[in-house]
Amino acid sequence: MTLRQLNRLALRQSRASWRRLEWRALAAALLIAISLSTLLAVTGDRLEQSLGQQSAALLGGDLVLSSSRPLNPQRRQAATDAGLNSSAVIQLSSMLSGNEKFVLGSIKAISAPYPLRGTVITTPSQPSLPVPGTLWAEQSVLQRLGLAVGDSLSLGYQRFTISAELISSPDRGRGFGSFNPLVMINTADLAATKLISPGARVNYRLLLAGPVDSVDRFYRQLKPQLSNAERLLSLNSDDNMQGNLQQNLSRYLRLSAVMTLLLCALTILLSLRRYSHANLNRAALLLNMGLQPRQLVQLFSLQLLQLWSVCAVLGSLAAVLLNSLVNLLLTPLLNGALPPATSLSWLQGPLMGLILLITLGLPPILAMSRVSVMQLLRQSEPATVNMGRGLMGLALLSLLGWISYYLDSLTLALLLTTVLVGVSWLLGLLGQWLTRLLGQQLAPRLRLGRLLVLRIQQQRRWQRLQIPVMSLLLALMALLWLARGDLLNRWAEQLPATAANHFVINIQPWEKQLLAEFMHNQGVDSHLYPMVRARLVGKNGQPVDAAFNAEQQKDNSLNRELNLTWSTQLARDNQLLSGTWPPISNEQGHSVSVESGLAERLGLKLGDRLSFNAGSQPVEARIDSIRQVKWDSFQPNFFMIFAPGALDALPASYITAFYLPRENSRLVPALLEQFPTLTLIAIDQLLAQARQLIAHLIDASSLIMLLSLLAGTVLVITLMSQERGQRRYENALLQALGATANDCQRLDRLEFGLTGLVCGALAALLAELALWPIHQQALKIEMVIHPWSWLLLPLTGMVLFSLLGSLSRRYPTSLWEQLKARQGR
Amino acid sequence: MISPESEPVIQALGLSKQFDSHNGSLSLFSELGLAIHQGESVAIVGPSGSGKSTLLSLLAGLDNPSTGDVIIAGQSLTQLDDIARARLRSEHLSFIFQSFHLLPELSALENVILPLEIRGQQNAAAQACHWLDRVGLADRQHHYPTTLSGGEQQRVAIARAFATEPTLLFADEPTGNLDDQTGESIINQLFSLNQQRQTTLVLITHDNSLAARCDRTLELHNGQLQPRLNEERSQ
Ligand SMILES: Nc1ncnc2c1ncn2[C@@H]1O[C@H](COP(=O)(O)OP(=O)(O)O)[C@@H](O)[C@H]1O
Ligand SMILES: [Mg+2]
Repeated sequence: MTLRQLNRLALRQSRASWRRLEWRALAAALLIAISLSTLLAVTGDRLEQSLGQQSAALLGGDLVLSSSRPLNPQRRQAATDAGLNSSAVIQLSSMLSGNEKFVLGSIKAISAPYPLRGTVITTPSQPSLPVPGTLWAEQSVLQRLGLAVGDSLSLGYQRFTISAELISSPDRGRGFGSFNPLVMINTADLAATKLISPGARVNYRLLLAGPVDSVDRFYRQLKPQLSNAERLLSLNSDDNMQGNLQQNLSRYLRLSAVMTLLLCALTILLSLRRYSHANLNRAALLLNMGLQPRQLVQLFSLQLLQLWSVCAVLGSLAAVLLNSLVNLLLTPLLNGALPPATSLSWLQGPLMGLILLITLGLPPILAMSRVSVMQLLRQSEPATVNMGRGLMGLALLSLLGWISYYLDSLTLALLLTTVLVGVSWLLGLLGQWLTRLLGQQLAPRLRLGRLLVLRIQQQRRWQRLQIPVMSLLLALMALLWLARGDLLNRWAEQLPATAANHFVINIQPWEKQLLAEFMHNQGVDSHLYPMVRARLVGKNGQPVDAAFNAEQQKDNSLNRELNLTWSTQLARDNQLLSGTWPPISNEQGHSVSVESGLAERLGLKLGDRLSFNAGSQPVEARIDSIRQVKWDSFQPNFFMIFAPGALDALPASYITAFYLPRENSRLVPALLEQFPTLTLIAIDQLLAQARQLIAHLIDASSLIMLLSLLAGTVLVITLMSQERGQRRYENALLQALGATANDCQRLDRLEFGLTGLVCGALAALLAELALWPIHQQALKIEMVIHPWSWLLLPLTGMVLFSLLGSLSRRYPTSLWEQLKARQGR
Repeated sequence: MISPESEPVIQALGLSKQFDSHNGSLSLFSELGLAIHQGESVAIVGPSGSGKSTLLSLLAGLDNPSTGDVIIAGQSLTQLDDIARARLRSEHLSFIFQSFHLLPELSALENVILPLEIRGQQNAAAQACHWLDRVGLADRQHHYPTTLSGGEQQRVAIARAFATEPTLLFADEPTGNLDDQTGESIINQLFSLNQQRQTTLVLITHDNSLAARCDRTLELHNGQLQPRLNEERSQ
């Protein structure tokens, strides 16, 4: 038989196979696996970046040295000596104003060469740096200020002409500010803006790039020399500053992606097994007609290939669609910060599907080619296909390989798979036990009760698979939506209605008086707090690494600059817990009042002497009081309060907060007109921005979740169809013994409903358990029970299962046929 | 009719078969001998479970005997490996099964073409047409198995079996799934084609009237294969 003829026969078989449930399930699972893998390959970067991950093109270099203080020029010299290229970048947040509007933006000052990795894209395209006096602005800047390329815009004390729209650029910087609309200026213009002042939050960066060896060597050389203010980021450095929330979301995405793949693989495995089982007679017949086993393998492989090509095309199309959806959701956040995906990454999904299909498909096909022609002489059901253990092992290995490729770690892949399997196993046992318990409780109250208990007993093997799959998926879905709701609503709920809704920072000492007058004239109630930025560098004469334990050393307060202030008045939202107020400053030294949470975390006690370092100037102080602070009061609050005069030697700026009714829209432009270097933070805007970020990220994630849910549904249908024959026969037998068709249907419905109920309840439990740490860490809110999820999830489970059950349950009409069909086999 | 000195087409020598299972071994038959000549038609009868199908599978080289040998067209099956045996089968043997075994997604014609294509024959379609015509299904060529009656399906299977022009035709209960009347007409067809083509036919059946139409009837009973005499048959 020629290959062409084989191919034609395979096509005929494929077409006929569409009538079989397992073939459809196979196709669906393959399609989902391909779409998901493609989507992840194509948008993975975007999602990951928005979740705070980095890659070379995103960093703008191979290494980035980042500091909150101007970098020592020696650093750059050392890099040059090590054979690396370097580029200095200064980034800060400030107000952009133009057209009588303003927006809090992120300003990046660059100098040649820039960037070292990746490319900056602008329209119209520009030389490698903005010409002095001009800047490049992202679309969101232009939109919010109502400006266009060619218009002008103010930045501090300097006016700039917008020479181009910034489409995408690497090296966006990190932290929350990096989501602010971005403008890029030439470093030569920075001084004229007068934005760099004491107390301004400025990030100084040195991008470094060069040959891998040199980069590695320099990394190792520099790492131990870093000062407190400096951080060294490499492509694979794990000192990511991403927040808990983002980390959780990233984990969540990976978990659901891995789970989806596993579900698809399981579906493919089961449906192929069933398919090959159903085709044993065909294989025997073809062999009997003289087809060689080799040709038989070819025939069925061709059939799988045909299926694959259809799924590859459809899956890629689906990925295109999903990708544009993700883009739609994320573009406003990322400002198109990424170049489009490479064409190679589009191939990743289909390739993955092919590997999955071949490794999972070959064992049953090979088993088919070994079938005995004797089969045809038997009138009995063919024995189950015996798949090669070796090939099955290979299939599992390749799956694991893919997962570890995606997770970038074999250990993580092994761990995750093991945990998933373990949890599923537990859930299966628990779920099955619950179902049986419920069934037994219900039994005395139902006419079919005894039959129900029997049925549950019979189905326990499949329930142990169905229940974990469905409850895990429902839990993941619920988790996403509960977290979304909690994040968006509870945050807003915590704000008192007339809390300060504007913060002004970066107020310089010489502006203090003028600003106070300005506020007074505008009738706004505000108080100016001095602020000095300094690091806590020691306790009782010992440096940090001696004075604090490892856990404490990881605390945020020891790894960034703290805001210090001075005051004699205890603010209303502060409460003295111990010691004496106010702090004092005299010839014997200074004393300081410490916030209670920080004191507890760092184990600080009254009488401890703390050493601070602001720039290079040291300050020592003795703790003489511990205060409790209500942080959610939305008033400026400080970890450390000194006595007036204690910090005089250090550079200070001032901060204020005030409430401004929405109607008063004149004040802010007037304020910025008079004080262009101030940074104004509108809490409403900030919260809206944060919420938008979260909502979009979660929506993008829910796309992947949707695929997971689909994969799970397909698997459950497959599982249900596995035992369909048995169920059919049982029902026929029951009817022969006197039950009505209605009784049988009711029995089915009871069983499915019960299983669904248990799945939903388990899902609700899982979701609450998973939300707990998120609430504790990311939201810092008390654990809450979500009564709706406890109501809705079991209901969803019931409906879902009943629906799937009725889908997979289409009995032939005649009772006799069913019995005969069974006997005939 | 049969010249005793001519070589038998198929010959079984000291054939025995036993199955080993957890609860002891089951010996179906032992030291069984048989020779069938060109053009002969032989019926093998016996109660259900006596091992008729098993014997057939040994004769066709689908399974290995516990002891003994089968010789087809002068070749000893035990001497051949799986591939050579498969080649021998495709060259010389055809089967007709109780449950037809047609491929549902292929039309009647395509079902008959399939074994010819597998053998790489040139004018497969024309030949298949010819054989469908011979079994009286010329007007059903493009029907699919599900739209054909049981009898028609078996006739397609007969056309398929003859199309490869086998030396030996094995039929295992070919009327087992058909009603009497249809079975009768199927059998008529089978015998008339057999006569024309001078095919050697080994027919397994428990239908006595069917067995009576064969040249010889052998009865498998308690592990013994014995010729059955005509007088016994007519009882
Ligand atoms: N592979 C096997 N293993 C064990 N027992 C078998 C096997 N194949 C057939 N048998 C047994 O051998 C006996 C004869 O079967 P079979 O040849 O199909 O009988 P018949 O076709 O005469 O009805 C039956 O009891 C059957 O259970
Ligand atoms: Mg039999």
